[in-house]
Amino acid sequence: MLEIKDLKTNFNTYDGVVKALDGVNLKIKDGEIFGLVGETGSGKSVTCYSALRLLPKTGEIVGGSIVLNGEDITNVSEKRLREIRGGEIGIIFQDPLSALNPVMTVNEQIGEILVLHQNEEINDLASEKKIPAYKSEKWKASPGVEFTIMAFCMSFISLFVMLGQWRFSLPFLFVIVSMLFRNYLQGNNSASALDLLVIDALSRVKLPNPEQIASSYPHELSGGMQQRVMIAMALAGKAKMLIADEPTTALDVTIQAQILQLIKDIQKEENMSVLLITHDLGVVAETCERVAVMYKGKIVEEASVDEIFTNPKNEYTKGLLNAIPKGGKERLKVPNLKEVEAS
Amino acid sequence: MRAILTIKNLRKHFPVKNAWGTDVALVKALDGVDLKIEAGKTFGIVGESGCGKTTLMRTLLRLIEPTSGSVVISEEIIGDKVSSNNLEELTSQELRKFRRQIGVVFQDPMGALNPRMIIKDIVSEPLVIHGKTDNMRNRVIELLNNVGLGEEHLYRYPHEFSGGQRQRIVIARALALDPKILVLDEPTSALDVSVQAQILNLLNDLQKKYNLTYIFISHDLSVIEYMCDRLAVMYLGRVVEEANTEELFSNPQHPYTKALLSATPSFDKNKEKIMILGDVPSPITYLDESKAKLATEMTEQEKLEIKSIEGKGIEYIVRSSLNEVFPLVRISGEHYARKVK
Repeated sequence: MLEIKDLKTNFNTYDGVVKALDGVNLKIKDGEIFGLVGETGSGKSVTCYSALRLLPKTGEIVGGSIVLNGEDITNVSEKRLREIRGGEIGIIFQDPLSALNPVMTVNEQIGEILVLHQNEEINDLASEKKIPAYKSEKWKASPGVEFTIMAFCMSFISLFVMLGQWRFSLPFLFVIVSMLFRNYLQGNNSASALDLLVIDALSRVKLPNPEQIASSYPHELSGGMQQRVMIAMALAGKAKMLIADEPTTALDVTIQAQILQLIKDIQKEENMSVLLITHDLGVVAETCERVAVMYKGKIVEEASVDEIFTNPKNEYTKGLLNAIPKGGKERLKVPNLKEVEAS
Repeated sequence: MRAILTIKNLRKHFPVKNAWGTDVALVKALDGVDLKIEAGKTFGIVGESGCGKTTLMRTLLRLIEPTSGSVVISEEIIGDKVSSNNLEELTSQELRKFRRQIGVVFQDPMGALNPRMIIKDIVSEPLVIHGKTDNMRNRVIELLNNVGLGEEHLYRYPHEFSGGQRQRIVIARALALDPKILVLDEPTSALDVSVQAQILNLLNDLQKKYNLTYIFISHDLSVIEYMCDRLAVMYLGRVVEEANTEELFSNPQHPYTKALLSATPSFDKNKEKIMILGDVPSPITYLDESKAKLATEMTEQEKLEIKSIEGKGIEYIVRSSLNEVFPLVRISGEHYARKVK
């Protein structure tokens, strides 16, 4: 599905070049959940941003290639990249509240993805059900502007009435009446094809009352619901691959269990590939099939989940596993990084 | 058992006002908490966000005043020359004396350190405030040595340190006045596992060296299991279960505790899983009696989630079933839990 070969990413800073990725090799097969573990600064997130070419201006890919379904996307055009992002690879970020736009409703945000990637489906559904594809934009100004227009019209009406020329006030009366009955005049308040698809996307992530949630703003939802909306957005473009960058770090353990269960269910239903980036080895043990451990921009060990927890080969992996408190009261072993680097 | 702090039926209700400024509802952040904190041991408080852990910590420090209930302080902290051993009735002079005995470590070290102050000033600030300025430089160096930092760090700014080192500085400052109690509010949740291991080892060493009492607040159960001698599980402002750590981990009684223990990701694939379904209910209680009680029937979301996991062999409990309040009963010895039908 996604293959990353010898990827090298550098960041140019005033203090010199930071080699964030130093030859990363990854292969994610169709329909598997792949875990990428590492500590802060090990390059896990940079790997996923490099794969989608979402690096900031200071970062650049200096070597290696990224192959998606046999297509080399290392140097493809921005136009093709826009199709890939959301259309072929969906992404979930760590903090749902900062990833969602606070001034757009859920409906608008998911609708945006659908318009970009699912335009044909929207039109198909519209012609099939004989409903409009999109809701027509209503003429609507801010309340202040509307009030000013109303006040002007009223003053003109009273002026003409006082002058005895009431016939001249008729056009202004017409403006006021049409503003008051705007909703009826524009008509068509039924759901459009886009709305139906948004509601469909929300019910896929098991949100109750999708109609109500579609019309709410992100801050009105709880953390778990926000993360569900993020997952719905990532899946809306019918992506076959999902990159989840620390999807549960901001959530409580009980909600985390729900979200991980949801990701597992959806992965199974749609036979998707999932790249799960996390620093929590427990999360990896519960969800993933294969796992790679990153340290200082390199992958130090890659194995199946069972093997890495029962029989870790690399010194760093061993150190990480030993540092986690597991019952017992004996002193925790801190990984000795000098030894790790020597080996 | 020598209780250093005794919390009796502590309540903290925050009023919710409408547009005219009249109270319409209460957020019951703490709703009758009884705890005894033993000297020289580590007492853990676990619970999800919004369950009242932090409010409890703040009322213990008297950063906020409780609505009712009391915190009784033992004589060894505050001496016997005080007007009252109740935290709420201390005079401001006595409160200062009490605060000298209790240190705090917050979750985010960068937020707790002033970015414009050098480490020497940060660590010596409590000494200056409490007037212990003799030989201050040596005292600061001693404190830094205690937490594994040295003299060479005295004139640096917080941003020059890594996350783990910053947390060490916060701990050094908390220990500046030789406190008897250290309140640790999620001290390692912003840190990586290897750094977390260093900090936990450091805390254990310090506890042995100075015979400190820790109040350890966390949501990470593996850390709690490692650090604590005794543990209280909180849910919606109430303690639902309290026991010694080993007893609680081996024999959880309350359904919420069971679900919480099983929800922690672990390497053991055969571990029994109990999902907890639904969203956290709002802790708001309306004064209007018709809306006052939390609904105990299932919500739409819970029904949906039950449908999606049915037939997969996963055990579950629903949150709405936890809304009814039962009294705390003794299970055995020092183990208390709220029994649910």
